[in-house]
Amino acid sequence: MTDASQSVSRRAVLQMLAAASFAASDRARAAPSLNIYSWPNYFSGNDLAGFARQSGIVPNISNYDSNDILFSKLNSASGAGFDIVIPSSSWIAVLRQHGLLQEIDPARINLSTLAPALLGRPYDPENRYSIPKDWGVLGVVYDPAAVGGEISTWRDFLDASERPGVSGKVRLSSSAWEVIGIALWLQGKDWNAVDADAIRAAGDVLRPFMKHVSSFDALDPNELANGTIVMAQSNQSVARTALMLNPKLHWVVPKPMSEIWVDCYAIARNAPHVDAAYEFLSYQLRPDVQLQETVAIGFPAALAGLRDKVEPGVAHFDMIFGGKNLDIGKLTSFVVNPKTIGVYLQTQLELQAAAD
Amino acid sequence: MIFKRHTILASWYWLSAIFLFTPILISIVYSFNVGVLGKQTARFTGWTWAWYPAAWHDVSLCGALETSFLVAAAATAIVVIIGPMLGFALVRHPAAKMRAALLGLTFLLIVVPEIVIGTSLLLSFAALQVPLGPATLIVSVTPGGIAVMALVVRARASTLDAHLEEAAADLGSSNLQTARLIIFPQLRPAILTGALLAYAFCFDNLIIASFLTTATTNTLPVYLYGSLQYQPSPTVYVAAGFVFMFTSALLGLAGLSWHLASARRSDLPKGIET
Amino acid sequence: MHRQRHAFIHFCAGIPLVWLGVVFIVPLLISVVFSFGTNTFGGITFGFTLDNYRTALSGLYLAVLARTIAFAAGASFTCLVVAYPVAYFIAGRTGWQRTLCLVLILLPYFSSFLIRVMSLQILFSRDNILDAWLQRLHFATGPLDLINTPVAVLVGMVYAYLPIATVPIFLVLERIPPALRDASRDLGASYWQRFLTVTFPLSLPGVVTSALLTIVPMLGELVIPQLLGGGRGVLMGQIISSQYLQAQNYPLGASMAVILMLIVGVLLHLSWWLGRRLEGRVR
Repeated sequence: MTDASQSVSRRAVLQMLAAASFAASDRARAAPSLNIYSWPNYFSGNDLAGFARQSGIVPNISNYDSNDILFSKLNSASGAGFDIVIPSSSWIAVLRQHGLLQEIDPARINLSTLAPALLGRPYDPENRYSIPKDWGVLGVVYDPAAVGGEISTWRDFLDASERPGVSGKVRLSSSAWEVIGIALWLQGKDWNAVDADAIRAAGDVLRPFMKHVSSFDALDPNELANGTIVMAQSNQSVARTALMLNPKLHWVVPKPMSEIWVDCYAIARNAPHVDAAYEFLSYQLRPDVQLQETVAIGFPAALAGLRDKVEPGVAHFDMIFGGKNLDIGKLTSFVVNPKTIGVYLQTQLELQAAAD
Repeated sequence: MIFKRHTILASWYWLSAIFLFTPILISIVYSFNVGVLGKQTARFTGWTWAWYPAAWHDVSLCGALETSFLVAAAATAIVVIIGPMLGFALVRHPAAKMRAALLGLTFLLIVVPEIVIGTSLLLSFAALQVPLGPATLIVSVTPGGIAVMALVVRARASTLDAHLEEAAADLGSSNLQTARLIIFPQLRPAILTGALLAYAFCFDNLIIASFLTTATTNTLPVYLYGSLQYQPSPTVYVAAGFVFMFTSALLGLAGLSWHLASARRSDLPKGIET
Repeated sequence: MHRQRHAFIHFCAGIPLVWLGVVFIVPLLISVVFSFGTNTFGGITFGFTLDNYRTALSGLYLAVLARTIAFAAGASFTCLVVAYPVAYFIAGRTGWQRTLCLVLILLPYFSSFLIRVMSLQILFSRDNILDAWLQRLHFATGPLDLINTPVAVLVGMVYAYLPIATVPIFLVLERIPPALRDASRDLGASYWQRFLTVTFPLSLPGVVTSALLTIVPMLGELVIPQLLGGGRGVLMGQIISSQYLQAQNYPLGASMAVILMLIVGVLLHLSWWLGRRLEGRVR
């Protein structure tokens, strides 16, 4: 008897669990809603609350940690019900070519307030599929005392890595193109136009320097502050944190060329809540929201003239914009090309293996 | 001499325990770290309570936590039913070839890189037009849990005396009775252990889950791993601390019931000499 | 009577087979089919080619495979060396002490794995709070700078798999009938003789299970080498993952996965053979 009742209660628990999970998904379908698939912590809580007050919609936000996962998810026929996704500039062309994004109706969105340098870039020349959300640059943050002076070019960066106090304390990006780009730029080549041989040759140029590298992992600003790492490829946001921890550090976007990446709003093909998506995008593009997002996220939003609007009280606010005199119009954005991405990747793996 | 041997063994144990616990304590300590610009740093920059209310108000974080608990609980329920069956069959199946095949399958469950399972499942669900949701995620994390359970049960069952079951059958006991009265009580500690391990396994799954999360189904590990890209906020340490407290309480209860169950057994296990 | 009993065991084997068949074998077979196809970025042209296997077993990839096997074997062995005395100590307790000791070892496993690895990352870095405390207590050792080294990865692996290595050994030790040792003692065997001739051989099935339970996931481990090893000297898990994701080359990733599975098959066979020899010796 006891056993029978036990098994009944167990079954009941299972049914409850199943019911609860279905109820949850039902609830999501019934209420007006919006599904965002994004990098974690990529919207300020205040702005989400503001949007909820204005529209009555509390967006469901789930997260990915790489563009590759975003591509895999959108590329699956199961779909996952996403409305707004935030791909980086490098993957927008691929997503578009696979028909995974829907065209943005220019009549429903006002892009005129955004910085011209961030619009019409090669990965989406007419912004038919993407709206810039925020951007970052690839630079170098370093300790001038260890490096023995200033770094202004990628050549300086490579040469400095061989110094006794620097070797073994260098961090390179985990992104294949950001590492191989160093050699390509020094050779005056366009990283979006090179063939497989040029990529491998660039890898050969870099291989002798790999023994000086200690990490290809996400950069911990604290390691820069305490001298575990004295020179690192980095975006301006992590560099800003490092500079706050250790004001002696310097930041530079090296010559002759470096990267700007732009994370963009896009609307997924088959998005179930298109109207809510446009409402959210319009809200996000409001100048006051753009300003709040910039301060909260630590990466600059796309609003034109944003730099002048940030209050001077914000710590190292120049660093949010990649430094004082940075001309983002002169930087290049990587575009993933199915023909060469495998070569980039294998070369990077070889370099990482050579670092051990 | 005996005293010395015991001391060394005891020190070894306690050092291992400290080794295992230090990172957890550190993670709790760092949930109070001020950090820099809202990001966690290895340097402890000061004490604050602020991350606790911040975590509580973070809708994505709380949603991820809730989903993780639901998925782990439901997956464990499935594992508790299927895992012990597999574990028992691994030991008792009459055909040696079948036992070997089942064992191969069990280890395959663990070895196949999660990335392969994740992408394969995503492709299969797509091919079968199954919409992604909590159910697909739950189903997808069960194989690993089943393997853990089966192996723990197998280790225990292989030390059981098959003659007991045969004797019970000879005395006219039905299969169900034998399972309930002879097999289950002897396997209970292993099933309990396995269930807990499987729960942790399902809760912690990162890679499979990252392929199967949807707009409304996001799990804590996926959230955590994603946050590593931009330096996590100390709020994720708050969430992790909460998970630890919750599961510790669960484990405490399980340990208590196991202890009571084994105390009730007439053959109170005798400790091995140390 | 026996037929009835067999029906029960077939049921026990059948249910898991059906379940796993649907949620595991079928997707896996898809991967095997993929491994013979040709890559079209994020998709596939089905066919039969061995090119993927040729690529996966040459140059860099082969070197990484060898390195991964060596590393996993070393880490698994280290893990067992640490785990055996722990399990032995627990099995030596009785009553609530035993429960408590086991729970203490298992408890960390119930904290989020990623957070524990992230905490190890903090602990291996300079200037962490533990360093500061130790310095205050005048235990300062200077910066260890473990982070981003192979040693950090090894410690991380041992850390992550210690609980799971302990359990099977404990479960077997616990079941060894005390009468066997008592008999051995009565025959005049010393402690070490008793351990080496009775306890240890009888615990070997548990050791083999532990070895498999640790080495197998270590072969595919992805997060620990990335977070603690700084992504230097890549292991197989990272390579497979990058094929599937960044390169969107499913066929190559699948062929690597199949190779990894074949290696596990060999390991299993080895352990099965070892298990039979062990059983033969004990009986």
